[in-house]
Amino acid sequence: MTHLTLQQLVELREPGLEPGLADARAHLAACPLCQAEASRLDQRSARLRALPSLRPASSRWPVVRQGIMSERRRRRLRWMALAGTAMAASLALTVQLRRADRRTDRAELAIDSAKARSGQLERLIQSYNPDGRVTDGKTAFVASQLEDRIAQVDRQLEMAQLGGRDRRETEMLQLWRQRVGLLDALVDVHLTRASQVGF
Amino acid sequence: MPEAFAIAETEVVLARARAGDLDALENLYRTYEVPVYNLARRICRTVEDAEDVLQETFFEVCRSIPHYRGDGSLWGWVRTIAASKALMRLRRNKYRDAEELDEEFHQPQASRQDGGLRMDLEAALERLPETSRAVVWLHDVEGYTHEEIAGLMGKTVSFSKSQLARAHLRLRRWLGEETALA
Repeated sequence: MTHLTLQQLVELREPGLEPGLADARAHLAACPLCQAEASRLDQRSARLRALPSLRPASSRWPVVRQGIMSERRRRRLRWMALAGTAMAASLALTVQLRRADRRTDRAELAIDSAKARSGQLERLIQSYNPDGRVTDGKTAFVASQLEDRIAQVDRQLEMAQLGGRDRRETEMLQLWRQRVGLLDALVDVHLTRASQVGF
Repeated sequence: MPEAFAIAETEVVLARARAGDLDALENLYRTYEVPVYNLARRICRTVEDAEDVLQETFFEVCRSIPHYRGDGSLWGWVRTIAASKALMRLRRNKYRDAEELDEEFHQPQASRQDGGLRMDLEAALERLPETSRAVVWLHDVEGYTHEEIAGLMGKTVSFSKSQLARAHLRLRRWLGEETALA
C-alpha cells in the first residue's frame, strides 16, 4: 500500500479539494497510519500556535513618534515655504504699486529689509535640512511650537494686507519683524541642537 | 488578546487615530506591539531585524490609518502590513541564498544524526530555512491561506504548499516524531 506524502496531507487540510486529491482523501479515510500522521500534523500546528509570544526588549514608540513628528514638520515647512513665497510676491506687488505712486517711506524700506532677512533665514533653515537629521523630542517640540507661531504670523500678514494703507504699513512692519524674530529663534534651536550632537 | 483588540478597534480610538491624534496612535501601538513583534521575530532571523520591522510597520500604520476603510479587522490590516514588511526584509537580506545547500555544511553532525536528534519546537522552528519558516508561521499560526501567502511573497500557491510540506517534514524529523510514512 502506498501511503500519502506529507505534501498530500498538507493539501488535504485545505478547504476546496482539488480534483487529483479525491483518491488521497479516500485513502486517508481508510488508512490508520495516514490518519495518525495527519493527526501529528495537526498537533504540530497546534503546538506552533501555543508557542509563547516573543516581546521586544524595549518600546519603539518614541522612535515612531519622532518619525511622525518629523514628517509633520516637513509638511509644515513646505507649507511655510509656499506661504512665504506667496507673501513675498504679494508684497513685491504692493511695493511696485507704491513706487508707481512715487510714495516711499521709512516703513516701506523697513518692511523690505525685514522681508529680505526673513528670506535669508528661511533659506538658512532649508539648507540646514532639519528633517534629514535626528531630532530629540525637546528640540522637535520647541521647533514645532515656533513653526506654529510663524504660520500664525503668516495668516495675520494676509489679513493685514486687507487693512487701510497707514494701518497696514504699521501692522505689517510689526508682523514682519515678529516673523524674523521667530525664524531667528528657529535657526537658534536647530543650530544649538546641531552643536550639541556634533553635526 | 482579542479583548484588547476590541478595545483598540473602538470607533473613538480609530477616529482619533485617523485624525492624527498621537495618544490614539500610541494606543494602537501598545495594543499591537507584541503580536507584530512576535510575527516579525518568528519570520526574521535576528532580533534587530524584528525590531526594525516593528518600527517600519508602525510608521506605515500611522501614515496609512486615514486610508484604512474598516473592511476587515484592524488587526488583520496591521498584521498584513507587518507580514509584508518582514517578508520584504527577508528578500532584502537574503540571509541564506543557498539555504537548501548550506544546511549540511552548517550542521553536519545534526544532519547525519537526524534520526536520533531531538530538538524542542522553538529550536526546530528557528533552524528552518527562512522561507519555510515564514510560510509555516503565516499558514499554521497566523491563519493565512496559501493564496494569501503566495500574494504576499510574490510566488505561486504551489510554492507555498510545497514550502509548508517541507517545513513540516523537517520539523517532524528534528522533533524526533516517529512515523511509518515516508
